[in-house]
Amino acid sequence: MTLFQQLRREWGLLITDPWLRAFVSWVPLLSFFILWWIFSAAIPRDLAIGVVDLDHSDLSRNLVRHYDANSVLRVSNQYESISKGSMALRSGEINALVVIPSKLKRDVITGHPPQVTAFYNTQFLLTGEVVSSGLQFAQGTFAVKIDIVKAMMHGDVLDQAIAAAVPVRGQITSLFNSNNNYAQFLASAIIPAFWQVLIILVTIVALSRELRLHGLASWLGNTPIKAMMAKLLPYTLILWVHGAIFLYVMFVVLNWPMNGDWGILLISQLLTILASQAVALLVFVIVQNADLALSFAAAYSAPSFAFMGITFPATDMNTLAQIWRDLIPVSHYMQIQMYQANHGASIETALPQMGVLILFFIGFPIAYQWVIHIILNAHKSDVHSARAGKA
Amino acid sequence: MSWGELLAHEIKAIFSNFPILLTVFGGVILYSFLYPLPYSQQLPRDQSVVVVDLDNSAVSRRLIRMADATPQIDINRYVYSIKEAQQAIEEDGLAGMLVVPRNFYRDLLLGHSPTLAYAGDAGYFLVFSTVIEGLATVGGTLGAGVKVLHHMIEGKTLITAQQQYSPIHLNLRPVFNMTGGYINYVVPAVFVVILYQTLLIGVGLLGATQNEKDAMGEKGYWQHVPGWKLVLARSLIFLVIYFVLTMYYFGYSFDYYNISKLADPIELIQLIIPFLLATSFFGICIGLLLPRPELVTVVILFTSLPIVFSAGFVWPLNMLPVPLLDFSQIFPAIPAVQAFLQLNQMGADFSQINSLWLQLWLQTFVYGVFSLWLINKKRSAGIKKVLAT
Repeated sequence: MTLFQQLRREWGLLITDPWLRAFVSWVPLLSFFILWWIFSAAIPRDLAIGVVDLDHSDLSRNLVRHYDANSVLRVSNQYESISKGSMALRSGEINALVVIPSKLKRDVITGHPPQVTAFYNTQFLLTGEVVSSGLQFAQGTFAVKIDIVKAMMHGDVLDQAIAAAVPVRGQITSLFNSNNNYAQFLASAIIPAFWQVLIILVTIVALSRELRLHGLASWLGNTPIKAMMAKLLPYTLILWVHGAIFLYVMFVVLNWPMNGDWGILLISQLLTILASQAVALLVFVIVQNADLALSFAAAYSAPSFAFMGITFPATDMNTLAQIWRDLIPVSHYMQIQMYQANHGASIETALPQMGVLILFFIGFPIAYQWVIHIILNAHKSDVHSARAGKA
Repeated sequence: MSWGELLAHEIKAIFSNFPILLTVFGGVILYSFLYPLPYSQQLPRDQSVVVVDLDNSAVSRRLIRMADATPQIDINRYVYSIKEAQQAIEEDGLAGMLVVPRNFYRDLLLGHSPTLAYAGDAGYFLVFSTVIEGLATVGGTLGAGVKVLHHMIEGKTLITAQQQYSPIHLNLRPVFNMTGGYINYVVPAVFVVILYQTLLIGVGLLGATQNEKDAMGEKGYWQHVPGWKLVLARSLIFLVIYFVLTMYYFGYSFDYYNISKLADPIELIQLIIPFLLATSFFGICIGLLLPRPELVTVVILFTSLPIVFSAGFVWPLNMLPVPLLDFSQIFPAIPAVQAFLQLNQMGADFSQINSLWLQLWLQTFVYGVFSLWLINKKRSAGIKKVLAT
């Protein structure tokens, strides 16, 4: 068969398998959508906190209003005792419990700074961070207001009062994600992680069709290279289209910052697909069992996101983790995507990662050697059975 | 067929199916080491920061030394303009920058409240918050020092002045994961998801393997046993296997990673049982619906990332779109993650997780009934012909 005939045959196999057809059409698109939809609120708001106000003064009520006014926080409940508040904290009903001491107002007026204690839940680390910075901010502005009022009572003019209250100001700039958009931060990496799983699994599902039909040896026949190319190439292209779709939606439809070069991104995607297909093909021809190959592939690709270094920086991972990370193609792709989209970096910064992705291609010749081995074995056993038949 | 014979058949079917063994035992044990691996350091440290010191005074140099001394910050290099600093971040991937403005020292002395500029790479939130936390602490310390100085000039003693740099103090106390460590955050939740996923795939593979044999016209013990008996025997065996694996996770692994175990063991077991049962029954349903075993791994793996991020430990539940939040309730992992975290990590009373616990029992019931219905339907009509296209 010519390569073209082989490709047509593969297309026929694809469109007659409703499951595989779903895996390369609406399933990934729906999954991309859901993964974005989860974070579509983009910025955490109105996270519930509880208050125990032991002072019950106008000042303490004012402080509670300050917390509530912060967009991140919402005072969902006031508790009469710390133990009741702590129960609510343990059940996750509130994310933080603020305890305002009795005599708050008196101590502020007499110049004995009282201490407000806030217990915040760090089991949900990200939520905890957001809540704690919200509390810090609300409390900080409250303290500054008190300072200013006090200073003005001493006869300072407003400017002096502000300077005395805040001797050093801090101006914080978030580079590359200016409004701290969590959808941009998380979905832009989780979607490629899903895509990595998709590439590996789809490749193995497509390959395992041959096992069910007539076995590997008969599929590979006398032209194993053509057979393998025809098997992989259609999915390379389809998965590349998926990659392009999520890039388009992220950087054009959702308008997340994209300062880099589309060409570099698309080429890196192609290299990532080929690298992943090399791994999938190798695993498949070695184990020659669809279920087993999928179990291996699942174990290999499922934790991709954890190793990408998006939520926890790769530079703080230990050597073993770095090695595993290097063995997953999408980690290299993700680094290119971050440098391109965020930093608008030059092609030179992408070349090392592209080089690593190309190194994965070594899987193809190894798989080819293995395949030759399979064909020879099948041939031998044919000869054997023929001889046995004669005898 | 007697119970003994059926159980023997099921055990043999499980332990002679290598993909099931690989997923169940291999997966659970591999992941107990692999998943926590990236986070072994718990907290990001020594983030590389570039400094633009336009003041170059004694105070600015002291400020920079203080920043370098924090665990969060490592002053990587000095440059002379903001442009160069930006380039260092873009090209070399530095984590942030600190800009000390011209005349910083003079303005500080004159009481003009000069502005320090901190910037961090917000493409990585944890890096960003680490950099900003480090820099803001140093800036705050400097500011507090200046206030103390002013108070002392006004004639207050050092101690009074130190107490009074702010009119009201906020004592922020992290609870449940007091060090803010990443392992303590990720592992207790992800381990529940791993148990759920591997159990679901294991049970599903067994069912789908038998569907495939049905389709090829093979005969097997599972075709004659009453449906309820098959469902009970299968879930019982997986319950026993997973009980041991769950103990390995919540016992050995949690100890190994120093993760807190606040739950009373009996209460923990009371929660583990409906979690494993609901998941097994759900897996039996999936095994009955999918015609070929390879589909089981694929379909379940595709749902894994959405489940992890809808479980409420990464992204707050009140921020999830309502339809998604409602739909996610059909997956046993969703109530289970919250219930295990509350009981074992946050020390909630059992009464507080009651509704989650009941949800798991409800799922057990619904998936149990559904699996029986599927078996009967499959046997009476040709459901396999419809699905095994």
